[in-house]
Parts: sequence; structure tokens; C-alpha cells
Amino acid sequence: MSDNYAVIGKNLPKIDGRVKVTGQAKYTGDLKFPNMLVGKILTSPHAHARILSIDTAEAEKLPGVKAVITHEDVPGLKYGISPARWDENIFCIDKVRFVGDKVAAVAAIDEETVYKALKLIKVEYEVLPAVMDPIEAMREGAPQIHDEYPGNINTEVHQSFGDVEQAFAEAYHVRTDQFIGQRTYQSPIEPHSAISIWEGGKLTVYTSTQSPHYFQYYIAREFGLKMGDVRVIKTYVGGGFGGKLEPTGLEFAGAVLSRITGRPVKMFYDRHEMFAHNRGRHKQIMKVTTGVDKNGKILGVHADFIMDGGAYTSLGIATAYYAGAMLPLTYEFDNYKFDMLRVYTNLPACGAQRGHGAPQPRYAFECHLDMVAGDLGMDPMELRLRNARQPNTVTPNAFQVNSCELKACIEKGVEISGWKDKRGKLPPGRGIGGAVGSFVSGAGYPIYRTNLPHAAAIIKVHEDGTAATLYTGATDIGQGSDTILCQMAAEAMGYNYENMKIVSADTETTPHDFGAYASRQTLMSGAAVKQAGEEVKAQLLEIAAEMMDVAAEDLDCREAWIYRKANPDERKPFTEVAREFFVRRGPLVGRGSYTPPKLGGTFKGAPVGTSPAYSFCTQISEVEIDEETGEVDVKEVWDVHDCGKVINPALLHGQVHGALYMGMGESIWEEVVFDDKGKIVNGNLGEYRLPTALDMPKITSELVDSVEPAAPWGVKEVGEGATIPTMGCFANAIYDAMGVRIHSLPLSYEKVWRALKDKRKKEEKK
Amino acid sequence: MDQFGARGKVLAGGTDVLSMMKQGLLAPEVLVSLKNLAELKQIYADPARGVVIGALATHNDLADSPVLQERYLSLCQTAHHMANNQVRNTGTAGGNLVNAVPSADLPPLLIALGAAVTLVSTGGSRTVKLEEFFTGPRMTVKKDNEILTEIVIPDNSFTGSTYHKFGLRRSGALAVVGVAVAVAMEGDLCRDVRIALGAVAPTPIRAFKAEEVLKNRPVTDQLLEEVGRCAAGESNPISDIRGSKEYRQDMIRVFTRRMLKKAISEGHV
Repeated sequence: MSDNYAVIGKNLPKIDGRVKVTGQAKYTGDLKFPNMLVGKILTSPHAHARILSIDTAEAEKLPGVKAVITHEDVPGLKYGISPARWDENIFCIDKVRFVGDKVAAVAAIDEETVYKALKLIKVEYEVLPAVMDPIEAMREGAPQIHDEYPGNINTEVHQSFGDVEQAFAEAYHVRTDQFIGQRTYQSPIEPHSAISIWEGGKLTVYTSTQSPHYFQYYIAREFGLKMGDVRVIKTYVGGGFGGKLEPTGLEFAGAVLSRITGRPVKMFYDRHEMFAHNRGRHKQIMKVTTGVDKNGKILGVHADFIMDGGAYTSLGIATAYYAGAMLPLTYEFDNYKFDMLRVYTNLPACGAQRGHGAPQPRYAFECHLDMVAGDLGMDPMELRLRNARQPNTVTPNAFQVNSCELKACIEKGVEISGWKDKRGKLPPGRGIGGAVGSFVSGAGYPIYRTNLPHAAAIIKVHEDGTAATLYTGATDIGQGSDTILCQMAAEAMGYNYENMKIVSADTETTPHDFGAYASRQTLMSGAAVKQAGEEVKAQLLEIAAEMMDVAAEDLDCREAWIYRKANPDERKPFTEVAREFFVRRGPLVGRGSYTPPKLGGTFKGAPVGTSPAYSFCTQISEVEIDEETGEVDVKEVWDVHDCGKVINPALLHGQVHGALYMGMGESIWEEVVFDDKGKIVNGNLGEYRLPTALDMPKITSELVDSVEPAAPWGVKEVGEGATIPTMGCFANAIYDAMGVRIHSLPLSYEKVWRALKDKRKKEEKK
Repeated sequence: MDQFGARGKVLAGGTDVLSMMKQGLLAPEVLVSLKNLAELKQIYADPARGVVIGALATHNDLADSPVLQERYLSLCQTAHHMANNQVRNTGTAGGNLVNAVPSADLPPLLIALGAAVTLVSTGGSRTVKLEEFFTGPRMTVKKDNEILTEIVIPDNSFTGSTYHKFGLRRSGALAVVGVAVAVAMEGDLCRDVRIALGAVAPTPIRAFKAEEVLKNRPVTDQLLEEVGRCAAGESNPISDIRGSKEYRQDMIRVFTRRMLKKAISEGHV
């Protein structure tokens, strides 16, 4: 394949950059419609309570209030994003299960009236014992959160490949370690919001979403509407990171309020409500056992995990499977056992956050492997190199890996970070640590069972050929899919990026696509776009062949010129041929769709983690620790990625920086904290400490050459993969700096301080 | 304010008052804006009184003030590391005092420098030592009909002063502990010292015993460590989301020692 591309592989400006930086871009919260009402949801103040009665009479009497609704006014059909466990109601019917559970909603003429009305709704509760800890929740006699799930077990996974016991028996060294993750929240800068307009038999929802399709599907199902009568329109979105994938309750409540009042209803979460709605990262308790031979070759691994799911399932079944499924991707070993319990607690429901279930287990595994290497007296990166996955291999859990340059990533990371001169050799307080990771380039199977293609695209060339519009269901939430898909369309058509327009993520005008999750759009939506572009080009070349009196196969098109391959000077402008096409044959349209091949094994849970292609990466970080305060100062981070062919390098490195930013936050600073009544203590950006620009270290983002055979132009993912190794690489760097191992996230200053203090005490005793 | 009493609230930068109103924690009937009182924005040296900081001076005004940069660079540095740039552009020095948040950054250093505040009402004006201004979290001796108009740092013999906010990130962080010191050095003897601590008690506090440990003894690393330990013992922090009591006390030890060393060797920084 020639690498001589005209449009892809270039740092072209973001297609929406100008409207965003000038403030012209309209987010859902910016939109206004005539007669629009404001709606808010009343939530539970208790972690677990029976609802005895709800009295809305006073609220309804308040001037300006147009509607008050409870479970009696909405469908009682349970929903959820995971079809295997639909366990949520639009409003709670019998009881509330966490502080923030949805109880009622109000629509009124303005925000002030809505807040007043919420206070006038009288809900009588019988408070029940609550449980906030997954281990406690599994004990006999613990409060039952859902009657249908005894012992509060939401999901149970037991997978076994090869013979782990045998491998451990034969191993030279076997080691077990336990680590604990924490609850974190995606914290997109734009709060969730939705405007619902129910007119006649049609419901239109403008919303801040990662997937118009799943919203449309679940909204239609809930209200018994035809899919075609539900239109979901994504506006500009200010970040999602997994938290905006599933319906939020704002769409359901807003739809009913709009139907009752006959007016558009805008609903939104404030920052604290975002934390309460959650769907952020699960807290996982992770026990890992590994057996190795004398040379550090991994013979078998047992991952034994428990996760705190919160009060509902959300995407948690997939999270539970992902947690274990992704571990064998990076290293080659045949014997693998994975056990997982996802447990209900009376806390906000957890879901998918960047890296979906994989980053915390990866932290546990990469720390654990550094400890194994320490036991063997080996350099930890050497141990990783010896076990690193090779291309064209299959994992024990039946994932086919095509391209894989993990070895090259490790080698390059070691080289550019100066690893060999630094590891164990830096001055006191300073240390270097590494970790690796891998992630899917799109899920092999959609969230609910269907044989629909995963992505589709239409390109319509303007009648005079001076512009082309790409229609795609792919969802740009800030990551830049609109930009790179237009680059891909222009490349496939032989056109210019500058003349591309895009209409995306509107279920009425754009063809189906599952949306922005599982790092899928570059590969999957890209494949559909490429096909659509090639169809445009083929049709153009046919007409051009007639116009130029040559065979179509002798022609090609590049940068908006159609030319004879044998003599490029014999050429016609794209515009002229496109216009002629319209005159002779009508609209010039190209279509494409993408369905992944059948992937994975046949065991229970086999589909989770399958993907047409996997990214690989190595991260190395250097930190400096204040030995008296425990303060962690991140000096520098190196990321080396195998993410296939790169469509827009600037956007790619932006993804790496962003992922590292989030990963750093989760590593050292971020944790959602609750009091003993289940109330969030830090549901704000003051005390939920996201890193700031001043906290960011110097970042070097590098690539290794790689082309994925199963993807258009050889592309793979980057957006989530770059978050996977981060926590492990910081934990390992802290260990190198101070000789203390922190077994739980976040690696906060106080935890480092305490570990150092304990270490000094032990040394004094000796 | 005389007219509205407790029903009214003074609005200066609004970074505290407005966010509390948004959270429903404060619902004054009347907001009285001081925005147009330009005379309350000035920072100047008054030969008779010392350095005067108008209550409406923003944190960035403090950081950029030539007078402060020359006399008390420590105060500029303190202001520069407060909150984030957006807040520093609006939040005021007066607001940082009257809101009386235990972790506020300006009070410890101003107390260490012996500052006083002027409270004005229709009945006249009075001067209160900042050290005696705070009575509890979000509580001060200021009456509802009074407005804090200026902060005065009287001329003094201090040769050095500094403050460190120990926060958990580099911007937008509230203090886990805040340690301010002011020292009057004569050779290697410390003739006078004031140590003020933030975020470790319901109000900013002086570490009187620690001060006495340091006075008139030759300064050594060992002595400074002893002073730090003493200050840690005088603090009475709570355990909360930013740190345990134990951690906070130990941080008082560390930063009292470090800040003393800094102020002794580097002056007002």
C-alpha cells in the first residue's frame, strides 16, 4: 500500500475548532425554543428507604409550575443500558436505593420556580438500613438492595483457560498481591442536558450524548414509540468519557413533561447532580496471582476481583467482564483464570469510564509484575519484554490479535526515557516507573443484540461539485471524529478536506452508527466512510471515462482532480465531472457500512473484549517525592503507542495528552468520597481534585510504525488505551523513588507520607 | 447596611457570596455592592500608619502591587498562589478576611505581620487587630452594619516573612495546612517571631509556645525542628477530606520548620 496520501496522516485543523474557540458552537444548554419550560428532577436524600407516599399537591399549586410527575405518570417499564439487567425505573416506585435516586420531576416557567416547587413535594420515607461496601453487601443479613438479586450479587464471572493450578505447581515462583481501586467520576466539563419536544406522535430530543442511537432505541422502547418517531439530535458535546453513553433520566422525564405540557422542556444536571447520577469508574478490589519460570516467563495468571457496582447495573456487566478480559492482551501466557463479583451497594451506579473496567486491573497487574520482577532480581521492563505479545497471536480468552508492536513500544519507551541510566540510579526521592497497556478499537458486538451494521455513512456531493457533505451517525464529543472522518472521506473520494461538510449524530438525517464508546469510530465509522468515499469516486470515474473517452480503470482522482494514471496531465477538475454527473444521472451519493467479522470464542462472556484490532502502548513516568510530605511531583511522562496508521497526528497526540491528564488525576488526586450515610462529600470541582494545567508534566508522545490489516488504511484506537497503563506506571515510579508500595488508588500524598512513615518505623525497629 | 442589618450582605468580588447563594446556603434580601468605591482598591504606604491595603484590592492587585513587592513580597507570593487566576481577578483581600474560612490564605500571613483591620459603620470606625478578628468558622467580630474598609500592616522590625499553603494540587486547591511566619533577626538570633497557622483550628491561630522556643536562641536546624514540633502540638486540626488530623499536625511541623528557615535566610519571600 502506498503511503502517499493526500489528506490523511496530516495535521489538518479541527473542523469545529473555529466555532468552538469563538463561542459560536451551541451546546444543548445554550439552545432556546419558544415557550420552553425548565425541568428538574427531585432526588432521594436517603441511601436506602421505602417510599410511603408522595404528595405533589402543594408543588402543583405554585404559580408558574406547569407539571409535576412521579412514577404514576410515567411508564413502569424497567430500563438500563445492559439488556441482561434492566433494573432502573424512570422514577422510583417502591423504594430509593441511593442518595440521588430519582423520585419526581417538575416543569415550570423558570429555574427559580422549579427549585421552589421541588421543595414543596412531600415524600414520606421509611429509612432502611443501607450498605456502602461491596464486601459488607455480600455478607449474610446485609440489606437487600434488589429483591431479584440475592446477596446483592449483580454479576458473577468465572472464566478459566488452560490450567492455572498446574501452571502454578510447575512455576519457579508464585506470588499473590492485592490492590484496591477507587470510585472516580468522568467529570466532563459540560453538564448533562436534554431538551425534549413531544409534538403529536413525534418526540424530538436535543441532547448531550455519546450515542444518539442507544438513546433513540431506549427512549422508543420505554414509551412504546416507533424508532422512526423518535429523533435524537446531538449538539456540540463538551466531553463524555463514558458518562454520557446511556439515557440519563433527563430525556425520559423531559419527554413526559413535554407531552403533558405541550411545550419544549429543558432539563439539566448541575455539577453535584452529575456526581450523583455518576456512571463513573467502579471501585475494584483486585487479587492477582502470577506464576513465572526462572527467566521471568509468565506461566499462568489468576485474577480474582470484586467490584462495587452501586445501586444499578448501568454498563456494569460489560465492565465486570472487561476488567479481566483485557489483562492477557499484553503478555503471552496460556493459563488464565478470572473470577469477578460485581456487587450492588447503596451508592450511585458505576458504569464505563475511559478504558472501561481495564485501567484499575492494569494498575494491579503492572504493580504486581514489578514486584515479581523484583523477586527475580530482574529489570521490570526486561520482564515485560520477555512476555510481550507478538503480532498474529491469539489470547487465551480467544481474542485474535493482528498487528502488535508492543515490543517495539517497550524498547522505544526504555530508550527515550533514559530508563537504563535512571532506574534505581536517580537521586533520593526521584524515581522512574513503567507499565504497558492495550485496548479495543471498537467492540466486536453492540450493547444489545442486533445484526445491524455497526456503522454507516452517506456522502452527498454538491450538485456543482464544490462541496461534499458526509452524513454519519458517528458522534463527535470533542475527540475529533468529525474531523478525521472528513479527512477519510476526502481521501477516499480523491477530494479536498477544506471542501468537506459534515452532518453527524442526528438519527433522522444521518445513517445509523452506535456512537462514541469503546474507541470504535476511527476504525468502524472510518471503514463505512471509506467505502462511501470510494463509491463516490467510482461513480465519478465512470462519468469522467465517458467525458475523457478512456476506460474508467485507467483513471484516478486525487485532491479534486481526475486524471489519467498513465499521464496525469490529462485531467479534469472534480467539480466539472461532478456537475456533469448530476446533469446525466442525478444526485451523486456514496454509501458505506461496516460490520465486524464474527469474533471471539463461545464461552460465557466471550464477546466482551473482542475487537477487530487492538492498540498497544508503553508509558514511563518520572516522579519526585517529598519524603516529608509525601507530595508527588510528576516530572515527565513518555508514551509510546502502536495505534496503526494515524489520520491526524495533532489530534492523536491531543488524545494521549488528555488520556494522561485523566489517568494522572485518577492515579494521584481523584476519588469520589461518601459519608457514612451515603452522601457525596466532594461533589464539586473544588474538592474532587482534577489536575490543573499547572500540574501537568512534560509529555513526550511517540509512535511506532504499525499497520492494522483489519482496518481502513490500517488504523487503530488511541483515546482510551492511553489511560490504561498510567496508574501502574506512577505506582511503579513512586516505588523506585522511595521503596514504598502503595496498594490502593489514588496514590495520594497522605498515603505516600504514611507508607514512608511506616517504612521508617520498621527500619528503626531493625 | 444600617438600614438592612442581617437582611443585607456586602458584595465585593462575589467569589464566595455568589457561590454560597447558588448553593442555597445564603439568601440575603439585599446585596450591597462596593464595586464603585475606587478608594477602597488602593494599596499604599502611609508614613504614619504603615502599608494600607484597601479591602477591594483583588488578589491579583496584591500580587502586582509595587509597594507590596518592595516591602512584603511574601504577601504578593501568597496572593499569587491563591485559588486560580479567574478567582484572583475578582476575589478581594477584604472578602478573604470577612468570610472567615479557616483555610483562607491571607489571614495567617497578615496575622504574622501584625496587621489590623478598619471596620466602618454610620456610627464611626474602629480598628481591630486581625488576630482578634476571627471568632469561629465564618464568624468574626464584625457587626452586620459594619464594612471592612482596609487592612493595615504597621511598620515593624521583621526582617523576613513567608507563607506556604500546602494544597493537594497546584491551582484551585484549599489549604491542608497554611503556615505563615514573620521573623526579626539579629545575627543568628531571632529577637522576635510570629507564627500563624491556617486550616488547623476553627480560626487562624498563633503558635505562641513555638515562638517562645525560637526567641533569642542561636538558630540551628535542630532548633527549627523543635519549633516545628512545638507548633504541631499547638495546632488542633480536624480530620476531613483534605487530610487526617495526624497528617495535618505533621505538616505543621514540616512547614513551620521550612518556612522559618526560608524567612530567616531569604527575608520577605
